[in-house]
Amino acid sequence: MSLFRLIRRNVMRHPVRSLLTLGAALVAMFLLVFLRSVLTTLDDSVKSVATNRIVTQSAVSLFVNLPASYQPKIEGIEGVESVCRFQWFGGVYKEPQNFFAQFAVDPETMLAQYDECQIPADQAAAFKADRRGCIIGETLAERFGWKIGDRVPILGTIFTKEGAWEFDVRGIYRSERANFDAGTMYFHFDYLDEMLESEKAEGPRGVGVFIVKLSDEADPVAVSDAIDALFAGGPQRTRTQTEAAFQAGFITMLGNVPSFLGWIGGAVFFALALTLINAMLISSSERIRDTGVMKALGFSNRTCGLVYLGESLLLSLTGGLLGLGLGYLTVQPMRQTLGSTPGIALPFYDVRTDTAVMAVAAALLIGLLAGIAPALRAARLDPAEALRAEV
Amino acid sequence: MSTKISPEIVIEGLRKSYSRGAETVDVFEGLDLKFAAGDFVALMGPSGSGKSTLLNVVGGLDRADSGRVRVGDTDVTSLRGDALSAWRSRHVGFIFQAFNLIPVLTAKENVELPLLLQPLNAKQRSEQADYALEIVGLADRAKHRPSALSGGQEQRVAIARAIATDPDVILADEPTGDLDRQSADAVLELLARLSKDLGKTVLMVTHDPAAAAFARQTLYLEKGIFVERSAT
Repeated sequence: MSLFRLIRRNVMRHPVRSLLTLGAALVAMFLLVFLRSVLTTLDDSVKSVATNRIVTQSAVSLFVNLPASYQPKIEGIEGVESVCRFQWFGGVYKEPQNFFAQFAVDPETMLAQYDECQIPADQAAAFKADRRGCIIGETLAERFGWKIGDRVPILGTIFTKEGAWEFDVRGIYRSERANFDAGTMYFHFDYLDEMLESEKAEGPRGVGVFIVKLSDEADPVAVSDAIDALFAGGPQRTRTQTEAAFQAGFITMLGNVPSFLGWIGGAVFFALALTLINAMLISSSERIRDTGVMKALGFSNRTCGLVYLGESLLLSLTGGLLGLGLGYLTVQPMRQTLGSTPGIALPFYDVRTDTAVMAVAAALLIGLLAGIAPALRAARLDPAEALRAEV
Repeated sequence: MSTKISPEIVIEGLRKSYSRGAETVDVFEGLDLKFAAGDFVALMGPSGSGKSTLLNVVGGLDRADSGRVRVGDTDVTSLRGDALSAWRSRHVGFIFQAFNLIPVLTAKENVELPLLLQPLNAKQRSEQADYALEIVGLADRAKHRPSALSGGQEQRVAIARAIATDPDVILADEPTGDLDRQSADAVLELLARLSKDLGKTVLMVTHDPAAAAFARQTLYLEKGIFVERSAT
């Protein structure tokens, strides 16, 4: 027999109520962990981008193409090492729900610019050599069971043609950093251009964005300003920013998701605190006489209060740890789900250690908040009055 | 369980009043009483005469407005907070009409509960709880929860809990009020044995003359005034 056993038994005095409260704590804590992990993953993806790449897009919108003729002009600016054309393809594999990202790129330049895109040299060479070839990320390969040599039919939605576009898988890459999605397909920009030029396909001409790699000594701000100044007179004004700012802009395009997720997390925290406070107040009201008995036996006011605080902490910490455990258990499924979700691809979704620490701290804080009122009430209870209580 | 000499209880000039809404009810207005060491006293009187309040003041659960309650060398009325709790844990065992066992604990765990406040290790606590249950004849019910015990058994567990710490004084407030005659007699015999064999000072509040007959003497209170003392 110990005081902890009494606390444990008291927690399970009403098993259904306790299990429901535990369930609420578990779900709430899992939500907190999940929401914060989404935020930290988004944050990590922004922070992990290379600092020597800048992105040039139309000043009007990301959805307005730039003239292909801008490429050699940008290449001529001092500090620019290479320029890669990127075009969002927006195709569909068989069904709309099979969505994944496809980009038309300059293979040689793209692979040189993105050292986080790890691909065996023979596969890279095969990709570069085959105009209808493509490379896919390992997440994408795993998702559809594709392997090298497979012919992948993609139905165009922006760039349409008779029948499906067909790409031959020439390589499977692995991503080394959170900013680079392993659920994407890259194919030859020239192939897309050729099909449009020959009118075998229809779609908007031009380039979605130019990815500009800078030389080591170049100042990103100065080069960005120089590019935008070059096209200030048209025909299309440009907006050039660092890749980090570009990624962050993408995130805010989701409707200020980070702030929204933060608010939901805060609401979940308070909902759980209120649930637990309610459960603890009911519990303490039912046990006034028990507290009187403990005082009659010689337990101090402080110990009587600590019993309630202990119960509250036990409930919130157990629920919190279970929720955290569930958070860890669902990392892989979340990676697969979020990794292929249009617009919010988070293939590197993870529960960081600081999130786990925050979850435990939140559980502790909620336990303290919920336990403090019953604890004070128990400590202040007059033993003679408590023993006369009808409950 | 030791047979040490229990202290006498001396009450001098006890004043105690309650507030009931705007009204102040005087329970004691200068009560003087003395209980001999190792005595078994039944306190009788009509409802509101102050019997339970007297037990609570002697046990330090309720505070006197003025006057002194001395148990042995200790002036209980001068103790406060943790010191009062600690004194109670060492020297007083309470028995209530409604048994007041903790429902989530087994019989043995209930008996062990006050032992958590004593300087004993887990093994010593367990042995002492077993012994207390043996004294009340419930060793075979140690693992039963209160809900699985009869009223008489519950009260015997409560007695075991009260004597587990080997207190000097046992304060019993209507200990047989909720029991049938047979169970009540078993409990009263036990209390008489605690006083006679183990030298505990037992103060028992009761409305039942048959219960009072088990005590060595009966004290009658009326409106907070000691009116009669009779040997049984």
